[in-house]
Amino acid sequence: MEYAQFIIIIIFSPLVNGVIKKLKAHMQGRSGPGVLQPYYDLLRLLKKDMVISNVTTWVFRSTPYIVFLSAVAAAFIIPVITTNYTFSMLGDVIALIYIFGLARFFMALAGLDAGTAFGGEGSSREMTIAILVEPMIMLSIFTAAISAGSTNIARIAETQGMFYSPSHVLAFAAFMVAVIAETGRIPVDNPDTHLELTMVHEGMLLEYSGRYLALMEWAHYIKQMVLFTLAADIFFPVGIARDLSAAGLGLSAGLYMCKMLALVFIMALVESTRSKMRFFQLPSLLGGAFVLSVLSLLTYIMMGR
Amino acid sequence: MKDWIDAFYVIDFLSVGILLTALAMNGLNRLESCVKAYTTNSWLLSLLIVSVAFMIGERHLYLAGIISLATKGVIIPLFLRKIVRQIKVTHEVEPYISNALSLTISGILVAVVYASLKEGIFVTGFSRNVLQISIAVILIGLFIMITRRKAITQVIGLLFMENGLFLAGFSLTLGMPTIIELGVLFDMLMGVIILGIFAVQIRRTFASADLDRMTTLKG
Repeated sequence: MEYAQFIIIIIFSPLVNGVIKKLKAHMQGRSGPGVLQPYYDLLRLLKKDMVISNVTTWVFRSTPYIVFLSAVAAAFIIPVITTNYTFSMLGDVIALIYIFGLARFFMALAGLDAGTAFGGEGSSREMTIAILVEPMIMLSIFTAAISAGSTNIARIAETQGMFYSPSHVLAFAAFMVAVIAETGRIPVDNPDTHLELTMVHEGMLLEYSGRYLALMEWAHYIKQMVLFTLAADIFFPVGIARDLSAAGLGLSAGLYMCKMLALVFIMALVESTRSKMRFFQLPSLLGGAFVLSVLSLLTYIMMGR
Repeated sequence: MKDWIDAFYVIDFLSVGILLTALAMNGLNRLESCVKAYTTNSWLLSLLIVSVAFMIGERHLYLAGIISLATKGVIIPLFLRKIVRQIKVTHEVEPYISNALSLTISGILVAVVYASLKEGIFVTGFSRNVLQISIAVILIGLFIMITRRKAITQVIGLLFMENGLFLAGFSLTLGMPTIIELGVLFDMLMGVIILGIFAVQIRRTFASADLDRMTTLKG
């Protein structure tokens, strides 16, 4: 049964997004849509007919499935509430990042496929951001991986202690910037609207409708929750269950919920207090975060902790 | 208290904070933010000295910490802020190289320092890490001095270098004699005041705080 923990991510990922939206609305003094709104949106989209441009090729039609399945695969190999699960052998950080890379590659292709200006713009921007974000996410995870002696996520989660050294704090800061960039949140991209000329993620999805759009949106929610879970596993693995006893799993699930809420709160806070950056200012932010992640690795090597 | 300092890596955090505030200088364009970065740097430096004093129980280190807090953490930042307001220049417009590039180069500087001081240092314990960080801070301060145009940012670069030197001396000798520290601090205070007055004069004479304009002095 323990391999079924990925279902938690698949089912609750729209809820996480709903909670972020609700919190954000509260911070900005609005009442906002209910936390279940993403579910209603997905259901509505799943029922609707699709309009597909007749210039598109198989890339456009297969991309939603590839993106969704790679998000599910990423959820498969990551420890959620227990580190003792069947797929822990496959749960490698580098594999996880390249699963995301596969999804991103096809999404960029699909953005180009329909031949609209916005899709191409979104794709080119997404790839530019990816170039800056991927090494950053790698280096910040490597800091934790070196101290664990393994790039396996379950092993990393088992070996991290309660006390944090400077290198871990730096790596966490860099990782959070990477998560913001990867999930398309506010200093990098605006998730709420596709009415902006500066859109990145929404630009690539502009041609999709109905069932395909639902799959793409859901995949995005899953990716977001997988990244949050990765942050929790690598930087705050306190209390994650190592066996399959009911008490351990219960405690782990409770703590997991608290960690998710904390991360959701951070995201909502960042989104409400920052304004979106101009695209050409992004290298400055992401470059700074990249230096942070390099520094975390160097500090770990120098101080040995 | 001793155990707490060890258990929560207080000294490591403070020294990494010192390095971070020096690195942050490369990403800042507003002059007041630069002054703030320097202030934070000095506060962290003084805290580091005080927490080391806690650990090894040396009384003259408390004095050194408090004096450096008073001068570097309070008087010099206030004076710098006054100058920034007086010369009415708020931004470092177009530094010689872009922020992202200068951040990257400073990161490389840190890596070079760490790599070259990895072996063959005779100091041990916490001093080892602090020494490496202090040398990195000195180099970053020098780098800021040579890449910025405005007189005031160059002064701040010099002050960062001085903080790094102070830290290096501290990590090697666990505090120089108090009289020398007092002398150095007083020297620096005077230096900053003179440089500040110069900055105002430059601004008044050339109607710009840009040091490149000073080449028109010749002939």
